[in-house]
Amino acid sequence: MPNRTQAPPIASIHQLELPPYQVHHLSNGIPVYVIHLGDQEVCKLELVFHAGRPYEHKPLAARATLSQLKEGTLRYSAADIAETLDFYGATLQTPYSLDTSNVALYTLNKYFYKVLPILAEILEHPTFPQHELDNFIQRNQVELQVELSKSDVVAYRKITELIFGEHHPYGYNSYPETYAALKRDDLLQHFRQHYLAGNCSIFLSGHIRPDMLRALDDCLSYAIKPGQSNPHIPPVEECLPQRMRISHPDKVQAAVRIGRRLFNRAHPDYAGMYVLNTILGGYFGSRLMTNIREEKGYTYNIYSSLEPVRFDGAFLIATESSTEFVEDTLAQIYQEVEILREEPVGEEELAMVRNYLMGGMLNMLDGPFNVADIVKTAVIEDLPMGYFQQMASTIQHISANDLLHLAQQYLAPETLWEVCVGAWQEG
Amino acid sequence: MIAFSRFELSNGLRVLVHEDYSTPMAAVNILYNVGSRDEHPDKTGFAHLFEHLMFGGSVNIPDFDNPIQLAGGENNAFTNSDFTNFYDILPAENLEIAFWLESDRMLSLNFDPKVLEVQQKVVLEEFKETCLNQPYGDAWHHLSDMAYKVHPYRWPTIGLTPKHIEQATMNDVREFFFRYYRPNNAILTVAGHVRASQVRDLAEKWFGDIPPGNVPPRQLPQEPLQQAMIQRTQRTAVPVEALYMAFHMPGRLDKDYYAADLLSDVLCNGPSSRLFRRLLKEQQLFSSIDCYISGSIDPGLFIIEGKPAEGVSLAQCREAIWKEIHQLQREPVGGQELEKIKNKVESNLVFSEMHAPTKASSLAFYELLGNAALINEEDQHYRRVSADDLQRMAQTILTEQNCCELTYIPLKN
Repeated sequence: MPNRTQAPPIASIHQLELPPYQVHHLSNGIPVYVIHLGDQEVCKLELVFHAGRPYEHKPLAARATLSQLKEGTLRYSAADIAETLDFYGATLQTPYSLDTSNVALYTLNKYFYKVLPILAEILEHPTFPQHELDNFIQRNQVELQVELSKSDVVAYRKITELIFGEHHPYGYNSYPETYAALKRDDLLQHFRQHYLAGNCSIFLSGHIRPDMLRALDDCLSYAIKPGQSNPHIPPVEECLPQRMRISHPDKVQAAVRIGRRLFNRAHPDYAGMYVLNTILGGYFGSRLMTNIREEKGYTYNIYSSLEPVRFDGAFLIATESSTEFVEDTLAQIYQEVEILREEPVGEEELAMVRNYLMGGMLNMLDGPFNVADIVKTAVIEDLPMGYFQQMASTIQHISANDLLHLAQQYLAPETLWEVCVGAWQEG
Repeated sequence: MIAFSRFELSNGLRVLVHEDYSTPMAAVNILYNVGSRDEHPDKTGFAHLFEHLMFGGSVNIPDFDNPIQLAGGENNAFTNSDFTNFYDILPAENLEIAFWLESDRMLSLNFDPKVLEVQQKVVLEEFKETCLNQPYGDAWHHLSDMAYKVHPYRWPTIGLTPKHIEQATMNDVREFFFRYYRPNNAILTVAGHVRASQVRDLAEKWFGDIPPGNVPPRQLPQEPLQQAMIQRTQRTAVPVEALYMAFHMPGRLDKDYYAADLLSDVLCNGPSSRLFRRLLKEQQLFSSIDCYISGSIDPGLFIIEGKPAEGVSLAQCREAIWKEIHQLQREPVGGQELEKIKNKVESNLVFSEMHAPTKASSLAFYELLGNAALINEEDQHYRRVSADDLQRMAQTILTEQNCCELTYIPLKN
């Protein structure tokens, strides 16, 4: 009979090694980071251009340009491109990111050489057909209507707009007229000015062979034009945070967002805030989750998060809860924040968070695509490659006193915006 | 290819192990063979509520989550109409923690009334967040209700109504636990940086002394063939119109399941698929369109859903979909197109074998289906489907008689 009242011994993780990766350069200078791991004969080829919102001359130009890349080239129609990629079971994704424009191709290795030329053509000769753009605008306007009927979407849009400003690249929101204002020339201009070799990094992960790299050079070093462009980041206007109620037809639940401007991953306090955020609302055992879900049952989910971008960052708390629980939910959130600012975190809780986060870091090293994401973050956000180990070191060594100081410095209630969207009178 | 070993404890617990030394992690997955189809019609949503209670402390361990987190792990669970699945992902050297925790909550819960009270509230909030407070969030309630008259798939896993969740009692909890959460009704799979012999020792040590139970054999009424098209219109607070068409399709173990699945791919998997390419991109009738299958073990649903483009009527949308269906019934899918959808299946299968947790849960699912080795035969089953099979499936299941149609029309304020 095992002794069930006694937990088996737990080993702490002390060592985290980022698996080795290689850096090559295409003939036109674009760096290619190669993460060769795993047995599956698959790969992910991701091209990342510094061509996101900080590079736009007009709102939504980055998103529209990226999504329209695959909608037609000199030689192929959107249908041809879709047909070829689907035939080889490949997936071409253009995942959304504020800072960058990413084109990611997932394919079985045996079809790599079949789909690579399509990718090259998309990047060399996109034509941005007018009818495809019209269709994109129309579909997004309907989609926007659907999204705006959700209180959580309204709340997220409002708080990010309040934090960064309604005209700031990290703060602006889209409206039907923002889509309507997009012209084909905007896409052509955005593409020509920013989809350049000097703005591009490539991440190739999976089971990678040397000949794949040669093919990459053959196809892409001509497709992508030389040159480089610069971001434009206006200053964020600092103003006094407010608490705001927005009326919304959703009857049964209200959406709550609380947050402030913070900083990017390069900031010396980022790693410490990462730990502090985890304690407050970054995992299932967090204080917000324990108090507001597991003790009071006010919500299905509550969390806080750090949202770093390349040049800035935000801290956000988010939950949805029945309208009648909103007042106490808010009171409990501010109380949890206050406790973090007044009392050092106990050793037991801190040990749990250290171990939990170290396990999470270990999990982030699982598989070629995960490792590629770590390398990508460092490259795109101009971090030293040691940032991952640095995070691990902070997780293991930060003291309760350091965390107390961080809470006092960055979580003062008067620095937090609050937006609640639900069925009530505006005020 | 997922290599695995399999053994059974004397109490009936089935154990499967997949060794993968490319990861430092271990995934422990326990599947209980009970889902919302096993619920009483007056106590729906209970299997899912019960899943929440499994985290509220067991007979010897007051809290499930803290030790997992202390061991550097993550854990979660999900419930569907067919089964309930729990998983833990942790550094492989702390594997035994998961065995200690999982075996104790299989032995017995602590049946704390406070846990039930709080989780009832949490699940009610989940109900509100996912169904009541979302536009079209009740679509699955309507479709289940229209498509099933006798089979328990007629209520969704979250429950028919919030009232059923409010009414659950501690007696219900005890009874459900000792009826279904027994080793002979569970499948344990472990994947990752582990040795099969080590898993066998740990399984014997922690699960070996848990008594089996008398799990009642499942006797579910078979859904009779639908005789005529069923239509329902919801005039409610939605932003734009929407159309759902649900067709009855074969269950997971039927030989025609694969053809039905591929048929849904022909219609709407990928940017070159027929509905996406023709109806959304070329004819611009839809602002969004999708086609998918419920994938349930008993006969399930084949669903097409879409939202009309600006200025397009529901009638035009409906007609366009039927036109595509009639073409599938009239003309066989071409060789190139058939090859394409099979290549996509192959690719999806390979990419799904990249991580230990997904491999662990898939193994458990195939074992539940009756034979874990099926996991390595899926690609062949799909490869065997012919154009004739697809045409026959289109003729058999994509008919008006077999269709439930749900539409949403916005209430103008």
